[in-house]
Amino acid sequence: MNFLQVAGDIPSLQPPVLFHIGSWPITSSLMLIWLILLLTIVVVRVLFKILSLRPGIYQNIFEVLYESMLKLVDQITSSRKISEKIFPLIATLFLFIGVSNLITLIPGLTSLTYNGKEIFRSPTTDFNTTFALALAMLILIQVQSIRDWGIFGYIGRFIQIKPLILSFKQGLGAGLTAFINFLIGFLDIVSEIAKVVSLSMRLFGNIFAGEVLTVIIMAGLAYALPAVWMAMGILTGVVQALVFGSLVAAYYTISLNPGKQAAGN
Amino acid sequence: MALDPESARLLAKGIATITMGGSGIGEGYLIGKALEAMGRNPEMEGSLFTKMLIGVAMAESTAIYALVAFFIL
Repeated sequence: MNFLQVAGDIPSLQPPVLFHIGSWPITSSLMLIWLILLLTIVVVRVLFKILSLRPGIYQNIFEVLYESMLKLVDQITSSRKISEKIFPLIATLFLFIGVSNLITLIPGLTSLTYNGKEIFRSPTTDFNTTFALALAMLILIQVQSIRDWGIFGYIGRFIQIKPLILSFKQGLGAGLTAFINFLIGFLDIVSEIAKVVSLSMRLFGNIFAGEVLTVIIMAGLAYALPAVWMAMGILTGVVQALVFGSLVAAYYTISLNPGKQAAGN
Repeated sequence: MALDPESARLLAKGIATITMGGSGIGEGYLIGKALEAMGRNPEMEGSLFTKMLIGVAMAESTAIYALVAFFIL
């Protein structure tokens, strides 16, 4: 390439395997996940050492972050009790996904190579990470739903036989409505699986496409133009983290039993 | 009309990209409605903006499925 264009290779769908521990392959995205974990542990240790009732700047940042995230989750769940219960999960999701989307902005981090393969690669550009997160959230929500409704109530949400029998006694019109609800109940099973697929694909597609397009734009014009696209990438990274967290909070809220919540369980 | 696999693949990639147009129409409608609501009720501007952003990300996701299919093909 000439002076104005920078050649790079487009990141592959599969992250490169660096080495093996036993028979377990260690990929680039796994290395960066470990780095993020290490960073989180160090930051939290420092924070807890300087906690005080009259906060300095460092503690103030975290308090502002905490309050704004709690307010956001409040808007979705519209109940302070549920918000405080799931807040650690949603805040972790938001921070982890936000940091892993934005960490490739640090210059030089993705240029380190080992045997010609890059050592660090953003974990959300790897479909394994996003799929694992979405699947774990689905299992968590189903378990919490079983806990709230009981096992028969949980199955009864999908296969609604009881309202069918009850409303046919009331009359034909109500019976037909209940029959349609019965069919929709089956569709709910499919929609639970669709939730996993859509959550994981949304996050993966946005961030991966951002990286590929960065390489392509740098091959077009390497001065000033990639900066515009990278600014868009920052916005996308933060918004996608926000959307993932809010969607998990919303799915959690609608899977609960409103009667049990209102009775103060 | 006999197609060899390579040209069929390129055609499929092209067709997969056309579907992103629908997402553009949907998002434009959504943002237009949000701006109209902000004009009617200026004090709810911050709350409406946050919800609009989440809605845009959800409407974008269909276009992102098409983009991922494009990369996989």
